[in-house]
Amino acid sequence: MFKFHFLLNALFGALLSGLSLAIFAPYVTLRRISYMGEALSHIAFAGIAIAILMNWNLSITTLIFVVFISLAIGWISQRHKLHEANTISIFLSVSMALGIILISVSNNYAFDLASYLFGNVLLITGGEVQTLLILSILNIAFVTIFYKELFYLTYNEEMSKVFRIRTAPVSRLFLVLLAVNIAINLKSAGIILVTAQLILPAVIAFNLVRNLKWAIIVSAIVSVLSAIVGFYLSFSLNLPTGATIVLFEAIVYSISMLLGDKNNA
Amino acid sequence: MIQIADLQFRLGGKSILEDIYLEIPDGEFVAIIGPNGAGKSTLIKLILGIHSLQQGSISIDGVEHSAWLNKHSFGYLPQHETFERNFPATALDIALMGLAGSIPLAHRIQGRHRQLAMNALEQTGVAHLATRYIGKLSGGEFQRVLLARAIVGGSNYLILDEPEASLDRPSVQSFFSLLKSLNESGKTIITISHDLNILSEYCSFLVCLNRRLHCHNKMELVSADVIHNTFGESVRIIEKDY
Repeated sequence: MFKFHFLLNALFGALLSGLSLAIFAPYVTLRRISYMGEALSHIAFAGIAIAILMNWNLSITTLIFVVFISLAIGWISQRHKLHEANTISIFLSVSMALGIILISVSNNYAFDLASYLFGNVLLITGGEVQTLLILSILNIAFVTIFYKELFYLTYNEEMSKVFRIRTAPVSRLFLVLLAVNIAINLKSAGIILVTAQLILPAVIAFNLVRNLKWAIIVSAIVSVLSAIVGFYLSFSLNLPTGATIVLFEAIVYSISMLLGDKNNA
Repeated sequence: MIQIADLQFRLGGKSILEDIYLEIPDGEFVAIIGPNGAGKSTLIKLILGIHSLQQGSISIDGVEHSAWLNKHSFGYLPQHETFERNFPATALDIALMGLAGSIPLAHRIQGRHRQLAMNALEQTGVAHLATRYIGKLSGGEFQRVLLARAIVGGSNYLILDEPEASLDRPSVQSFFSLLKSLNESGKTIITISHDLNILSEYCSFLVCLNRRLHCHNKMELVSADVIHNTFGESVRIIEKDY
């Protein structure tokens, strides 16, 4: 019974983790901001280190830290006219350096760094599955409610402003939600592999469909199927789950390139 | 009417615009001409609110600039529209962009908006391309889609930044004829252009700009001397036959 629960949590964890990221993936690929996902996940490392050193709640500390830094990136690049990509690179390396120092200072040998780097769905608790479910619902609500604003923001932010489309609050909310998604998904997807789940389902979708609404739906289906197949393969072949899911998605991507004639993203 | 007074604009320590006092009467077909780097695009970006005012004032229909922009938008056609070539937008989606600002936050685009956008695409002659993805449109077709987006909101002002740049010669002629008919229907058109010949054929009001204003007057009152002064010695007016 215990084993069944534990497996079910892991399966739903992998499934919802993929789903929540896949809903954002089409926007991340179209806006070409996958570097942002990569940076935020690395920045989360410093948040994890702070939580360990201070003995604070790991998930909440990481979440607050990543959201705070994502807002700081937006604010600093605006105020100092730095290109966002440069600001992000600075934050990424500084956060990693800070994280490494804090982890080494904390002398916490019980901390399993590999789990956070590569993700481990087997560590997911029932409570975390619920959080992932709420996050997925929140993401679906966000892209549905603000579909129009997100569409034109992704198309061209400056022109959206000229035509008085209220993209500014939606753009900020997008950044915050992206940060929340990455922080919450770290445990299941891992610092290094989380970006793959933020890109692959969308590029597969755009190889198969052109319409944005359909791309979001296909991206979600691809991620859910990949989670199920990857989960099954990882158990039957005794492989790490996160990495197996990503590799399976890469295979689906190759097939989608052969099927579709339009490599869009 | 657009009134600009004491406008100065600097960028990176360099003066881009100085002492601009300008009145653009309603219903004119205005051409802004001047050499590269004269500040033409900067001037229209200030009017559009893309750049923030540093010094001076702009008023539209007697209303202060930012107050006007809070309630209205200009019809605008940029010189280059930056977008991902494979972005999943159709011509209709782009035309609808001109209306999206008038639809409240989080509200959906509705059938009546689509109808208005279709009418605008009809007016610019590209309604048959409504469902085509923008990556599949030619430069001229896309330009007409952007013009539909500029007019769909019903603004009385249409601002264009070198619309002829991405068009071949025959398309320039038909595009300006289209602008002329919009002008005759009551819209004030403000366009940056390098093509003096096309302007002499279609425009009614000329603004000569080279960091400062060299003239702003009815087309027929502007002499070749003023144009030479604006451009320096480098300009040659060549008769062209389209």
